[in-house]
Amino acid sequence: MAYYQNIFTQVQVRPLVPEHGVPVAVDDRVGKPFNSYLFGLIGNSQVGPIYIGYIAALSITCGLIAFEIIGLNMWASVNWDPVQFVRQLPWLALEPPLPKYGLKVLPPLNEGGWWLIAGFFLTASILLWWVHLYRRARALGLGTHVPWAFASAIWLYLVLGFIRPLLMGSWSEAVPFGIFPHLDWTAAFSLRYGNLFYNPFHMLSITFLYGSTLLFAMHGGTILACSRYGAEREIDQIVDRGTATERAALFWRWTMGFNATMESVHRWAWWFAVLTTLTGGIGILLTGTVVDNWYLWAVKHHVAPSYPQVYGPIVDPAHLAPGPRP
Amino acid sequence: MAMLSFERKYRVRGGTLLGGDLFDFWVGPFFVGFFGVVGMFFTVLGTALVIYGAAIGPTWNIWQINIAPPDISYGLRLAPLKEGGLWQIITMCALGSFVCWALREVEICRKLGIGYHVPVAFGMAIFAYFTLVVIRPLLMGAWGYGFPYGILSHLDWVSNTGYQYLHFHYNPAHMLAVTFFFTTTLALAMHGGLILSATNPKKGETVKTPEHEDTFFRDTIGYSIGTLGVHRLGLFLALSAGFWSAVCIVISGPFWTQGWPQWWGWWLNLPVWR
Amino acid sequence: MKTILAVVGGALALFLTIAMFGGAGWTHPPMANKQTGFRGTGMDLIRTRAGNEALSEANRAPAPADPADAGGDKASAVYQNVQVLGDLSAEQFNRLMVSITEWVAPQQGCTYCHSTENMASDELYQKRVARRMIQMTQYINASWKENHVHQAGVTCYTCHRGNPVPANIWFDHPIQGAGRFRPRNNSQNLASPEVGNTSLPYDVYQAFYQHKETSEDAIRVNATTALPETKGKPIQDAEKTFAIMISMSQSLGVNCTFCHNTRSVAQWDTSTPNRVHAWYGIRMVRDLNQDYLTPLTSTFPRNRLGILGDAPKINCATCHNGANKPLNGANVIEPYPELSHPTISVSLPTGEAKDPIPGTEKPTPKP
Repeated sequence: MAYYQNIFTQVQVRPLVPEHGVPVAVDDRVGKPFNSYLFGLIGNSQVGPIYIGYIAALSITCGLIAFEIIGLNMWASVNWDPVQFVRQLPWLALEPPLPKYGLKVLPPLNEGGWWLIAGFFLTASILLWWVHLYRRARALGLGTHVPWAFASAIWLYLVLGFIRPLLMGSWSEAVPFGIFPHLDWTAAFSLRYGNLFYNPFHMLSITFLYGSTLLFAMHGGTILACSRYGAEREIDQIVDRGTATERAALFWRWTMGFNATMESVHRWAWWFAVLTTLTGGIGILLTGTVVDNWYLWAVKHHVAPSYPQVYGPIVDPAHLAPGPRP
Repeated sequence: MAMLSFERKYRVRGGTLLGGDLFDFWVGPFFVGFFGVVGMFFTVLGTALVIYGAAIGPTWNIWQINIAPPDISYGLRLAPLKEGGLWQIITMCALGSFVCWALREVEICRKLGIGYHVPVAFGMAIFAYFTLVVIRPLLMGAWGYGFPYGILSHLDWVSNTGYQYLHFHYNPAHMLAVTFFFTTTLALAMHGGLILSATNPKKGETVKTPEHEDTFFRDTIGYSIGTLGVHRLGLFLALSAGFWSAVCIVISGPFWTQGWPQWWGWWLNLPVWR
Repeated sequence: MKTILAVVGGALALFLTIAMFGGAGWTHPPMANKQTGFRGTGMDLIRTRAGNEALSEANRAPAPADPADAGGDKASAVYQNVQVLGDLSAEQFNRLMVSITEWVAPQQGCTYCHSTENMASDELYQKRVARRMIQMTQYINASWKENHVHQAGVTCYTCHRGNPVPANIWFDHPIQGAGRFRPRNNSQNLASPEVGNTSLPYDVYQAFYQHKETSEDAIRVNATTALPETKGKPIQDAEKTFAIMISMSQSLGVNCTFCHNTRSVAQWDTSTPNRVHAWYGIRMVRDLNQDYLTPLTSTFPRNRLGILGDAPKINCATCHNGANKPLNGANVIEPYPELSHPTISVSLPTGEAKDPIPGTEKPTPKP
């Protein structure tokens, strides 16, 4: 029985001539394809070739520049000590400019200037990569669903690092580059704006995030379960429904009274994933610009629950009449 | 109405785990089975108790309804209905209902002659829930550590339970879980987008092939995992998200009581650079 | 090559795994927990039973010395240069001196503060500091009794715990990035033990514990209205607040929910009474740092000062030492009534004191 669960590829088929990709107008792909046994256990064993046009090359260059600026700034912040650089790496960061600089285009390099330059190159890299994806999809005659999904993630990135700081009037509102520092930023952001859990768009974003995970578990599980009937040949199954699709559909119909089709399940998937960052971006954009304290906002709109008082009334001591205060 | 055009030939007898032929029938599109009946009992009872809990509570506002677990002082005992006992029974009903749902899925898998991936995956979700409301409270020594049933109140619980450890983002298992959630969503977007783009190509073009799919990802990132592999990857990422979520909460309290940032002391104090 | 890399990688992973499991300080049940809010809100103090016992063991108050006779000659009559405690009987005075030695300098003995040639001499800076600290103790027990230290009170031992210098003190941090290429980092983004190993700002004591007149809303970063009505505080301020709160939690061995319902940390009506105590505690720390510790800057020798030449200062941990009630809340002041209220308003430097005790000089009368 275990054999049919199809967890690993037990016999790896390797063609004598590796696949060089669909021939299209522009296809000067580079790299000699090779096979990886480990990759072959779960998916295709063939790695490469890759197409690197000038746009991708430019994107990678910009990305490298940003990466270098961030890394060197981090290294500088431990006084170029290589051991401390490794030891403290998760704690190190490249911070955005301090609030006093507002939206100044180039504050002193060591007070946020580098952050702006790194941000510029990272953004350039990401946008160029979007163009690269779009052009590649078009070159292969595919739809542009992947680049548009990527655009949704870019939206969240731009809101966090560009649009919201612009609306708030200060680069200091943006996220620092750093592993733990960006986590600190996230927590401080929630604390500053009265608990992001009360932000309805944050709720939606989390719902879509968990929903995406649920969907991929459901979809991945269904396809694997029906793989002995060829369910993984999804395009075939979409245009010419076979028993794999029928069984997959009936599984969900019998389980929950409803089923997607082989094509529509991918529409569900795409929308859930896209809406995660789309709603997330909206939630961030509204924070501080339109709503200043999400908890108070939730109280105002009768969303926040109230709990029975456990203690007597607790009063802000700062508001007590100035009496015998030492 | 209830049957799809091709459905009749799949509606066969057998494959049940329990109950034999007794409950081997469909109601509308739903398969029933022994676990459908038992699961229905748990679901109806649990839902009724939630509604009862709301009725004896202060509000019918859907956002504010809160069915809270008992006080810590009750330890691992049963509490009076109105002081957390409801929560205890609802938790039992929920677990019973979830497990029945999973077993009913197993029966459906057997009827359709397909693998058990979906019920196993659902088992991971049940495991995460079980960890939250049973394993961790058991380890902590009181049912009161379970999370309350309420749309906003469970968020308050998450907030406070996080800040019990000062800064929960530093919990290494939480980091892993969040990373898996984000990666699953990324992979889902890429997979969903790729299938849609192959079957909905540029106007006037024919539907594309898996070769095009492979070529798109090889061209852009140098590797395409393939039609079968992407579903294994997706399932693995999704299950890992659930698994590490369960780990991140069960270690918080029973096995770590300080702030999570302090946990990283072991890294800062490694003998090579201490 | 591939094999070597695999072996090195495997060894590294194994080493890190062992260090992570062995070196992090994992705990295990049974737990000794305390609920701090309505059931199901997740407001709980989380401790293991063993950890709780170890904590209470580490914070045991010492037994007070046997009471001394209040009769007989006064200390000021028997000894010279007794400026603060002169009204005690000589026996009471000696009892307190012995206690202070046990509390502060059990290894070093009397000569830690007193010149061996002349016990009355103010030659050693330790003696001059100690005098000021006795006054500080009296001040705390009188002026901060109602709002912070309550019946329990404090003695020298509350902070010193048998150390001439208390274990938990702080100095100003130099600003990073003042020179060359090093980026100014808002004084954050280094693993900082004072803020619980986070990368949050580490110079928060300077920002919040230094001055009495620190603005009332220095720590408060939340908007008090749902919608933006005034210019709000930047995220950097929220990080500072988070940092000081983590430091407080650490100092007291508690978590955020000991004081707050974190669904809205700013709300007072959903907070616990502990938050009010803590609020006064912050004011007390500022008060003492400004009036008692900072003025000692010129009394301390250079090696007792911080990198920037500032006096050692206190924070919550100085007294609390990781317990939410110092010395398990034991009433330490009752056996030492002489420390429970000021016995002299100012102490004037006399005779051999090399430099005057700052903050106590009489202003020079203007002609």
